Amino acid sequence: MKPNRGWTPYLFVLPAFAVFAISILLPVIATFGLSFTRWDGSGPLKFKGFANYIRAFHDSVYVSSYWHVLVYVVATIILEVLAGLLLAGAVSARPGTTFYRVAFFVPVMLPLVVIAVLWSFVLNPDFGLLNAGLDAVGLSSWKRVWLGDPNTALLAISVISGWIFAGFYMAIFYAGFARIPKDIIESARLDGAGEWTIFRRMKVPLVRGITEIAILLCVTGGVQVFDLVFVLTNGGPYNTTEVPTTYLVKTVFRDQEVGYGAALAVILTVVIALIGLLYSRLRRKTADVEF
Amino acid sequence: MRLSRLASVVAAVGAATLLLAGCSSSSGGGGEASASPSDQVLRIAMTEPGADLEKVWQQVKTEYEAAHPGWTVQYNFQNDDIYSTVGLPSLLSGGNAPDIYFEWSGNRLQTRYADGYAASIGDQLKAKGVNDRYVDGAFGGTSVDGKTVMFPIGKDVSNVIWYNTDLFTKLGLTAPTTWAELDAVNAKLKAAGVTPYAMGNKDLWPAGNWNGHVLSRIVGEQAYADALNMKSPLDSPEWVAAMDQMKKIHDSSWINDSVNSVSDNEGYTLFFTGKAAMTPIGSWLVDVRNEQAPKFNMDWFNLPAIDGGKGNQQSVLGVSTGLVVNAKSAKIDQAVDYLDILSGDDIQKAFVAAGSSSLSKAGAATGLNPLSERLLTLIETAPEIVAPPDTGYNLKVADALNTATSAVLGGAMSSQDALTQAQQKIDALK
Repeated sequence: MKPNRGWTPYLFVLPAFAVFAISILLPVIATFGLSFTRWDGSGPLKFKGFANYIRAFHDSVYVSSYWHVLVYVVATIILEVLAGLLLAGAVSARPGTTFYRVAFFVPVMLPLVVIAVLWSFVLNPDFGLLNAGLDAVGLSSWKRVWLGDPNTALLAISVISGWIFAGFYMAIFYAGFARIPKDIIESARLDGAGEWTIFRRMKVPLVRGITEIAILLCVTGGVQVFDLVFVLTNGGPYNTTEVPTTYLVKTVFRDQEVGYGAALAVILTVVIALIGLLYSRLRRKTADVEF
Repeated sequence: MRLSRLASVVAAVGAATLLLAGCSSSSGGGGEASASPSDQVLRIAMTEPGADLEKVWQQVKTEYEAAHPGWTVQYNFQNDDIYSTVGLPSLLSGGNAPDIYFEWSGNRLQTRYADGYAASIGDQLKAKGVNDRYVDGAFGGTSVDGKTVMFPIGKDVSNVIWYNTDLFTKLGLTAPTTWAELDAVNAKLKAAGVTPYAMGNKDLWPAGNWNGHVLSRIVGEQAYADALNMKSPLDSPEWVAAMDQMKKIHDSSWINDSVNSVSDNEGYTLFFTGKAAMTPIGSWLVDVRNEQAPKFNMDWFNLPAIDGGKGNQQSVLGVSTGLVVNAKSAKIDQAVDYLDILSGDDIQKAFVAAGSSSLSKAGAATGLNPLSERLLTLIETAPEIVAPPDTGYNLKVADALNTATSAVLGGAMSSQDALTQAQQKIDALK
């Protein structure tokens, strides 16, 4: 039905737009505007042009934080998406796996900060469970300062991330597998296909669209990783686990360089947007059967 | 799920900046405190003082309100970390900015003054006789450009070396007075199977403070300040040689392997549980000990004299804290009245009775915990007070130096490489 007043539709949209504007739009515009200034959060604003952006590209810690996040993303694609896919294959292969599905999903429901604190106890080099366990089984030479060694800190964070989110991706893939018509699977079984073959040759190809979305979620989420790194290492040791978000927060809240922090936030936003665009371009358009 | 984090991070930073920016006045100079003349509220912002001390602050409020009918004192207590980072700037930029606020001396105080948030109150305090009620040196560190802009609350010793007295007695050790003696103590402890130092340096400042003091003793206070003020390079041969003291500590395994992966609190736990004989940390360890391990016996010694060092070998690493009157406040006279009442003998005695230190003559005469009292004497009588990197200087410069310290102490880099990398970070700031 056509409205009798031209502005009526806008009136209906106004409440939602107001919420969006206050919570997202204005902060984003303010961040963009502040990125061209030098400001400590309370003193006068000084216009600096593109100085903050130029500084960011010469900031070795900030630049290296993108390498760290790249390593983290690659590791989590394996430890989260691939592990989630394998777990989904395992729990969907036979009935009666409710307990395992719930168990694998429980970490997803816990607050990340709580998990990070718990794992920091497990990995504590002096009192931690892991080193004590290695001692107990005679593998003392394997003991490490897991979160204090540049060679293991980022890997440890990635493994913890995998432990948490593999269950999430398992749930997604499990839902995808459940949508595959049972008669197709049964036919394969009647033809003599084993569960591994069914998983590899049928289930995985049939949820390719879901896999692509899962990887996109993992990549964009990985670039934004913050909680785990902040609690477990705070970017250390020696900035070797510094990721863009932890550095951004330190810049704004610890160093009180609001203008520079805003520039870092804008760059991060652009990077994530570019990843999304690139991914959507690379995503192959196919006519494959999907469920 | 995690997809929402982009919006969260950007919106959080954006919201914080919007909040700060939106609250700023159109002049860009921040919010006007107590703009309305009819507003008879004296707003005071500070870090959470704890239950016992809060009662004393309420006592000050009661006395002020009794002496100024119609006026109200309104406290805003905030968590330390929040207050020192985003909390205070938000308040100062806000519509109801505090008339008085807590601050640390050094770079922070200079920034507040430069931004127009610190009033010169020296003459008014003198006129009321406040200075006469305080011990000599109490106002040290409260001036910027020769103007008194902070009312002194306390002086924190940011780093001394605490030691387990029972362990020292058992091994026949005494507190060293020279760096060579300290090396000998470390060697004896190691030979006895005891790790000399425990420290939790995940957040960089604990070892940063300690090494800052060592560096200032070796290169001299002026060279230390010049480098941290970006006037001279950090990676000179002299600095590299000074940094080698940290390398020696790592190479000799004199510190816990976990130094860079555990927090300061976990470092205290290692010390209290006898995993190490010493911990280099600040005066607050007395409160931590009293809370976490009240039966633990400990004592402290200041950083021993380093042979050949260019700095004052009796220097103390410390920082002054106090209250600043907001220069943008319309109630500066009332704020000074409040400080006058705060400096009263009974109030200062009450602060000491509640567990705080006091720089007033009446408070100092009341008697503190012996460990705290000696620490207060140490800083009051110090011939030279050195500011820690992270409170006295630019935070990015401090972070570069502290990261270099942690890399050397953790054995990840040579002194030269760590300082070269730190200098590169500093060069990028110029």
